[in-house]
Amino acid sequence: MLAIPRRRAPRRGWAAFVNNAQVRGVVYQVATAGLLVALIWWFAANAAANMAERGMSAGFDFLGVAAGFGISFTLIPYQEGDTYFRVFLVGIANTLLVAVIAVVAASLLGLVVGLARLSDNWLIRTLARAYVEVLRNTPLLLQIIAWFFGVFNLLPRPRQSVEWFGLFALNNRGFYMPAPVPEAGFGLVLVALVAGVAGAVALARWARRRQERTGEPFPAIPAGAALIVGAPVVAYILLGGPLAWDLPALAGFNYQGGMSVPPSFCALVVALAVYTSCFIAEIVRSGIQSVGKGQHEAAASLNIKPSWTMRLIILPQALRVIIPPLISQYLNITKNSSLAIAVGFPDLVSVWMNTSLNQSGQAISIVAMTMAFYCAASLSVSALLNAYNRRVMLKER
Amino acid sequence: MRRQTLLFSAAAFAALGLAAEAGAQETLAQVKERGHLNCQVGLPTPGFYALADDGTWSGIDVDMCRAVSAAVFDDPDRIEYQSVTSAVRFTSLANGESDMLSRTTTWTAVRDTQLGMTFAGVNFYDGQGFMVPKDLGVTSVNELDGATVCVLTGTTTELNLADYFRANDLAFEPVTNENVNVIVETYLGGGCDAYTNDKSGLAARRSAFPNPDDHVILPETISKEPLGPVVREGDENWSDIVRWVLLGMIEAEEVGLTSANLDDMMESENPKVRRILGVEGNIGEGLGLPNDFMVDVLRSVGNYGEVYERNIGADTPIGLERAGTLNAQWTEGGILYAMPFR
Amino acid sequence: MAEPARTFRAKPDRPAPAQTVGAVGWMRRNLFSSPANTALTLIGAYFAYWVIATVVDWALLDAVWQAETRRECLDAVGRSGACWPGVFVWFENLIYGLYPKDQIWRVNAGFALLVAWLVPLWLERVRSKVAIGVSAVLAYPVLASYFFLGGDKGFLWSASIAAALTAFVWVWATAIAERRTGRTLGELVLARADALDADPRHHRRLLFYTAAAGWLVAYALVALWYLPYVTTNDWGGLFLTLVISGIGITFSLPAGVVLALGRRSELPVIRLICTVFIELFRSVPLITILFMFTTMLPLFLPVGVEVDQLVRAIVAVCLFASAYMAEVVRGGLQAIPRGQYEAAAAMGLGYWQATRLIVMPQALKIMIPTIVSTFIGFFKDTTLVSIIGLFDLLNMARAIGEDTDWLGLFIEPFFVVTLIYFAFCFAMSQYSLNLERRLDTGQRS
Repeated sequence: MLAIPRRRAPRRGWAAFVNNAQVRGVVYQVATAGLLVALIWWFAANAAANMAERGMSAGFDFLGVAAGFGISFTLIPYQEGDTYFRVFLVGIANTLLVAVIAVVAASLLGLVVGLARLSDNWLIRTLARAYVEVLRNTPLLLQIIAWFFGVFNLLPRPRQSVEWFGLFALNNRGFYMPAPVPEAGFGLVLVALVAGVAGAVALARWARRRQERTGEPFPAIPAGAALIVGAPVVAYILLGGPLAWDLPALAGFNYQGGMSVPPSFCALVVALAVYTSCFIAEIVRSGIQSVGKGQHEAAASLNIKPSWTMRLIILPQALRVIIPPLISQYLNITKNSSLAIAVGFPDLVSVWMNTSLNQSGQAISIVAMTMAFYCAASLSVSALLNAYNRRVMLKER
Repeated sequence: MRRQTLLFSAAAFAALGLAAEAGAQETLAQVKERGHLNCQVGLPTPGFYALADDGTWSGIDVDMCRAVSAAVFDDPDRIEYQSVTSAVRFTSLANGESDMLSRTTTWTAVRDTQLGMTFAGVNFYDGQGFMVPKDLGVTSVNELDGATVCVLTGTTTELNLADYFRANDLAFEPVTNENVNVIVETYLGGGCDAYTNDKSGLAARRSAFPNPDDHVILPETISKEPLGPVVREGDENWSDIVRWVLLGMIEAEEVGLTSANLDDMMESENPKVRRILGVEGNIGEGLGLPNDFMVDVLRSVGNYGEVYERNIGADTPIGLERAGTLNAQWTEGGILYAMPFR
Repeated sequence: MAEPARTFRAKPDRPAPAQTVGAVGWMRRNLFSSPANTALTLIGAYFAYWVIATVVDWALLDAVWQAETRRECLDAVGRSGACWPGVFVWFENLIYGLYPKDQIWRVNAGFALLVAWLVPLWLERVRSKVAIGVSAVLAYPVLASYFFLGGDKGFLWSASIAAALTAFVWVWATAIAERRTGRTLGELVLARADALDADPRHHRRLLFYTAAAGWLVAYALVALWYLPYVTTNDWGGLFLTLVISGIGITFSLPAGVVLALGRRSELPVIRLICTVFIELFRSVPLITILFMFTTMLPLFLPVGVEVDQLVRAIVAVCLFASAYMAEVVRGGLQAIPRGQYEAAAAMGLGYWQATRLIVMPQALKIMIPTIVSTFIGFFKDTTLVSIIGLFDLLNMARAIGEDTDWLGLFIEPFFVVTLIYFAFCFAMSQYSLNLERRLDTGQRS
């Protein structure tokens, strides 16, 4: 923090009082706070007067009223007769789904493009650069619409769907996949999965402690992965496969059954992932380039295997540079998912701040709830990642 | 920092205080003082509030604004058009930015009673319909069970769709957007099986398809959509003005008054005509307008029939045949029925 | 035994193997060095070809260039080619919105004025660049807003316009003086005064009189000058996009500096307020802020107060941009080593002096690339005002598809808008790279 030692004025009287840094500090703060309180009070008084004048109410009573409109894609069950509060939850679930999938996709894509920008192949390097420049310099809103019309709306119609093994189907109504239907005993599989994860964590701890004590390395990552995958698989087989699959099948106008996501969702996720991947690619590239050449050479002179050099020397240092901007990119994805409104995907803003607001007229409550959600999501994610960031940063000496 | 904040807020308070003075008057006085009418229309839509590349607005709803402007100012063009999205249409009216709203707004109980506004009448009776590609082989809405339906969001259309399918125990999947072009492109690309909107809109859109004949509009009309001008609640005089300008235009058509025969009709002995033209009676006075306010309206905008034919009639690209529909005069089988102008 | 001195003479170079030089060699090295690389190259080349060919076919080869309505286009090529005439007819609206056609010169003049105002910043040997920059930020908007808005002007408004006009004249006068003589206009005036009157106390007064005389002349001119009023409802297209992003960007920088300083302040209340403001506006998507301001701002103002839709959007964009800029500035401030603060304090500089003279100049220089990329972000974000219904570039493009003659024309205008945005953003990002290279003083390894 900024710490400029302030002079203590030796003068006396009024001038001394006015020039005293502490006195000034208090005056500044009281004035600012007073002004702010006055402003808020003024806003509140105006709002009350306005609402009285127009006969509007600001409560949350409407949350229990039936919304009465359909939502094209819901992660949690919803019917036309459900309440506004349910609509709010549907919006949140949809927003989170988009954000999570887009974050994963953008990270992977960004990593690939970032590495492509460092490629030895001129064409690949140039294409990667063109990709980054073009996509980074056009508004995301335009890109979402372009993906929707340029790609997903041009896919074949349901009758001519692209099918894979009778399990997956792709057409301009969406992407269809089998849905798991748990049967009796499936809970045990989940228990086994949790146990596997716990085992893997314990194993990793033990391996690290042993390595610190004896210097003997232990392949904790493959072993842990085997544990996480193996435990539930074994449980699944032992229990006789307590899981059925609901397969999508063409019936009537479209595919029925299974799980599906609409094209607006695909367009949104792809656009978000592709757009953000440009920024992530640049972050990855600058992160890797920020690790000094000396580090490679030092590692080589210590006879550390090249694969270990990347994992143990380069990546930990690069990550320190990569993580902070990456956090803000992830938050950007969450915020940018609000552009779903452009292609009509029912995310929180589209279904709540647009449709619900329009149908119920409850501006204040709806806006407040929307903002509260985004604030909570953003602040908790950034708190979480900042904590991680602080842990990584502490290793700096 | 403190000084700047202080200065800024002082200026802001002062400016707002001044503006607040002006807000406390009646709408008519306010409009007159301002010198123009703030008329809210929607984002450009052919036939109702169409925007041409030279920046002029036209359409049946725009003519409603022009008629009010003519009644108040004796000049149909003293209007500032405010084109805003449907999401903010009511707040914009409620907080006084717009004097009236003329933008295919459906008259519903909730809107009339709970959102602080008054419907001044109906200038177009619409109904919601469905369009499907011919090769789908569907002939009735009831065959659309399980279909994907494209619908404009933020409108009553969205609610009617849900209601109708729920009432008839049909399943459907909505594809929503607030941009008509996006919806139409989605429909044309096969992203939905059917496209639902007010029937006037369906016909207009179909005329602009690459192959209009490949699409049919299903016979059912699943909702009532009385569309009309809206004003703020609480100013009876202003809502009366808008209402009686509209009714006057309808009445004028009924008695055969047009912009063309206006001058001849001034000498008419028909008391109905004389009352409309303000030669007899004092209807204008009661509204705070000159008694001959309808003369200005009819001269510059015309009667209801003229407005209809000019903007959405059979000879326009919108091509909505009027005869035999709800929008015909009650004397000709429609339900357009002006309250007596006396 | 002295052997004759043998000087080493290199034999002439043998030519490099044909496969390693020229285009072939370059390709072998860069494109086909290994089977995997070859595969990548082929895939990449095919992909690039496919994308380019598709776009060129649609936009150029199969496109319709002359038609009266969209129906003619559809009858000619269907949907396989673009229908450009609709975009041509509306092109002026895409740029200027619904601005009255006979007044469009005012928009052009306004932007030309901005360029003219900024040109001295790029000229060499001009010394008062800071003052010129500040005058551009403070005075230009006054003049530009009269160009764009017009209408009746009271005394205060005329006086500010006159002051802005004087400032503009001063910018060029001093720029020319500095290039010619190396001295600022003020110094020249003072030198003149020296010759007339030796008493230095009168000199400042002379400067003031000169400025006042300039202002009076300007006021007389402004009083004669009248432009018809153009409502902001008619503003639109690229013009509106530039106005919104321009104001947002100009406002965000000083506001961001203030907020960032506030967030790093020692005074807890101020720190708290700034932190809450920044975090609140950064954690919420711009579109919700825009929605909030369009639907709710009127509620929070006294009954009957009207606030322009455009003003509401601009306020929202400004607040949002300031919060982002504050974090950028804070990043720059954090990069300044502690020693700089301490050295400033040791020199006896107070807080504001240290900030103004020592910390900010260094921090701003480090921040320039980030600031420019944030600006690009704001510029792109202005597309969102279309969602709340302002006739920006995107909504103007949408209006084309609602024109009775061009009903449904949607992809083509959209494509043009994308190109316009790309051109602006790409130019800005290239300029920022260029700036980064020029300003790189090698402090960062």
